[in-house]
Amino acid sequence: MGKQPKTPEPERRTTRSTASISPAPTPSKPSAPPKTPELSSSLRYLLSGLPGRKSQILDLIRLIGPLNCPSLPLLLYGNASTGKTSTVLKVLKHLDRSFVYVNCRSCHNPRILFETVLSQLGSSHKKCKKMPDFLNYLREALVERNKEMVFLVFDSIESVRSWDNGSKVLSLLLTLYDQLQNYGAGLLYISQSTPDAYLLRFGSFQPIDLCFPDYTFEEIHSILMRNRANPKLYSSFLSVVLKPFTRVTRRLDELVSALDPLYKKYCEPLTDSTITPDEAMKRRLFDYVQPHLIAALNQTFTIPPRALKDKGGIKRQGSGIGNATGLPELDFHMSVSAKYLLISAFLASRNPATLDASLFDSTGGCDGRKRKRKSSQSSIDKKNTKAEEMLTKGPGTFPLERLLAIFQCITSVLEEEPSLNEEKSLENGIGLMSDVLLQLSTLCNSNFLCKSGNCPLEGSVRYRSMIDEDMALKVARSVNFPLSNYVYRR
Amino acid sequence: MAGSEQASVALVQLRERLCSRTFAHSLLQSSSDSNFRKLKFHISSSISSACSKVLLLRGDKGSGKAAVVELVLKDLQADHPNAISVVKLYGLLHSDDDNSALEEIARQLCSGHEFSFCKTASLEENKEFLMDMLKEYGLARKTVVFVLDEFHLFTQGKQWLLYTLFDAMETFTSQSIIIVGLSCLEGSEQQLEKRVRSRFSSCTLLFGPPSEEDGRRLLEQLLHLQKDSSLPSKYVVEFNSRLDKIFGDKKFKEILSSFTCADGSINHLLRFLFVASSYMDMETGYLSLQSFESAYSLMKRQPKFDSLHDLSILELYFLVCMHRLQCKEETSYNFNSVMKEYKAIQDAYRTSDNYSHAVCLRQAFEHLLESELISFTDAKGRNDSIRFRPVKLLVSSRELHDSLKSNPSCPAILQKLLDHESYM
Repeated sequence: MGKQPKTPEPERRTTRSTASISPAPTPSKPSAPPKTPELSSSLRYLLSGLPGRKSQILDLIRLIGPLNCPSLPLLLYGNASTGKTSTVLKVLKHLDRSFVYVNCRSCHNPRILFETVLSQLGSSHKKCKKMPDFLNYLREALVERNKEMVFLVFDSIESVRSWDNGSKVLSLLLTLYDQLQNYGAGLLYISQSTPDAYLLRFGSFQPIDLCFPDYTFEEIHSILMRNRANPKLYSSFLSVVLKPFTRVTRRLDELVSALDPLYKKYCEPLTDSTITPDEAMKRRLFDYVQPHLIAALNQTFTIPPRALKDKGGIKRQGSGIGNATGLPELDFHMSVSAKYLLISAFLASRNPATLDASLFDSTGGCDGRKRKRKSSQSSIDKKNTKAEEMLTKGPGTFPLERLLAIFQCITSVLEEEPSLNEEKSLENGIGLMSDVLLQLSTLCNSNFLCKSGNCPLEGSVRYRSMIDEDMALKVARSVNFPLSNYVYRR
Repeated sequence: MAGSEQASVALVQLRERLCSRTFAHSLLQSSSDSNFRKLKFHISSSISSACSKVLLLRGDKGSGKAAVVELVLKDLQADHPNAISVVKLYGLLHSDDDNSALEEIARQLCSGHEFSFCKTASLEENKEFLMDMLKEYGLARKTVVFVLDEFHLFTQGKQWLLYTLFDAMETFTSQSIIIVGLSCLEGSEQQLEKRVRSRFSSCTLLFGPPSEEDGRRLLEQLLHLQKDSSLPSKYVVEFNSRLDKIFGDKKFKEILSSFTCADGSINHLLRFLFVASSYMDMETGYLSLQSFESAYSLMKRQPKFDSLHDLSILELYFLVCMHRLQCKEETSYNFNSVMKEYKAIQDAYRTSDNYSHAVCLRQAFEHLLESELISFTDAKGRNDSIRFRPVKLLVSSRELHDSLKSNPSCPAILQKLLDHESYM
């Protein structure tokens, strides 16, 4: 083994892990420290595919051990997108061991979990609902394999805690080692929570913990630099952009989704995207991108829904870079009556009930005049405490009648305006009512409204609006409703 | 044999020993007052005198209860061939409803005698089957041993299974039915109902960590390679002598004592040795002090400290704000109040880390919830949105302080904010 260019690796099955990380374009020169012995070429390939994870990979290989040799259970833990799943899968493939992989987040109840494991082992039992049955069938399936060792990989076990009967299932999974002694099964658990969360559930053998720390700044830099068409340009981009972004978050998936559109912006003034920038050009590009940088830092780093992406260019939530009007828009479609219902719910939650009469007078319009009041010290204090209360308690509840009353007031204003087009004209009162009740249940199901407890005096149901002011403003803007006139401000 | 070949054979041998539940405990069985001997005595005496007994084994997790039971039963089955039948039940699986326990008993008895097991039998049928089998056992002068793991789970609820078994013990007086209960909790027999306890006359065996001398002997016997034919004897001798040298080293003794200080049970030791053996130098095939040191540092991690170390600056701001709110003795605070505090700090000090509401919620707050450094105080409670539910900090001020110090890019302002509170 020397530093020769190595031959391309044999074709490996694309799974989730290999599909997500593209292979290294050229065989990289091994940068192994002089102390360790020569690493085999496949190991070097593995290490270069998972940067920053060298010590974890070597530990994992060491702990899994030689072929068909028994092993204690292992628990790998770390934050999201730190490479736990991909490391495990790649190492197991590199060592060429047979394994069964099941993700507890996609198998969202015990039956699916059990049946997935059994079907991957090739068991003849297709249905398995109860835990004792699962254990018996598992043992049968392992016995049929003739002592050839198989690894059971349970991913995202912290999500099992939130299942019904989840704590029992979790205890079963974590004590499988005791039950499966001498059956030739190795156990690997992957979790986002630290081992402290499971301390009470282990059986007689506590698993060996392997920590996957977050990537350091340099590792993030090297990961982002992989597979770039123009490395020098991208590294100059990263040198100005990466530091401020890592002050907000260190998670790789969020950084990637935040930096991609910004990089497109950075490259805009360049006519030739393959040139190497010199100092003067770097400074100019930096000046160009800086205002967008500040804006980008104040948006959430989310991946926008596909509908917006297809509209050409990537739009962002919040004050987007590519947005024409410069104001936030609603990302999804709602019917007009649902929008009005939502606005009424927001107003009902936000305003105290005593104000309704003055805000929505008999003509249906807003009064507009605000009564002048002497603001004494006590009233200022009262206002402050009320504001505090609102911060802590959240939006208020309202009965259904109040919601419908506000809704009728708002929509009756619309009917008076002659400049409405056909789509916006609403039916008469009775037809409106039945439509409204259907919309109400839809809004409840999508968590825009929620049912609060019953009123103790009357026994009627009370509702509460769950949207915040930004969202309400977006909805109001989409129907040209002057929301700010109606919102009670202290 | 080449060096690496020897190494892998040796490694396989060591791992097989360390992963087996019973091997380590079998090494301890010869001492005079060991639990192994006591248990064997109890069971064999009740077999020979054909009387029923209930035994309770109590000890921490990993102290070897199930291992010792397995060893004792294996020994007795060798001594009295075909006279003992064993049924194993686990509290986790079989204490839920009565039928699952009886079904499992029926299944194990059937497989022991090669009857065909019917899965759809009802509760009554299973119970009848059990009684018939016990009668047959009595006539044939055979013993049944019921091993109930996680005994304390069987004592919850209506204790129907225990009542049935104890009842059977009373009815069939001329044969021996032995129940061995394994539990890691104290006082499980106190939880038995009166009618069950009236039939419960048991003796208890306690399992504790091995003595220091036993532990040292165990260490040698676990790691020394045996002189058998698969490995060259020169290698075996060299391996064992190197190990002895390590065991005599002062640093090794320090590592071992600090390790067993936390948890002296055998299984904990086995984990440590397992990790140490994985650090075996595969070229030469010998263990060195370095292997034990690396194993110790691998097992010594502090997960909470690591997750605090990994936080971004914004998340640290959040934790410091929550800490300040806590120091101000606010009884409950939620995301909005923390944001208010955060904005107040930004207004006062005008740092460069002023981020919008949405970013703080998504990036910082939800990350902190996911990594379990903060959590909601109401248990699934109202359906409130995430901004209004009360939260609490799960990190102590000492830990927060240490993490701020260890974070290289932490702004000085955070340290100042945290320090000022400790003077208040």
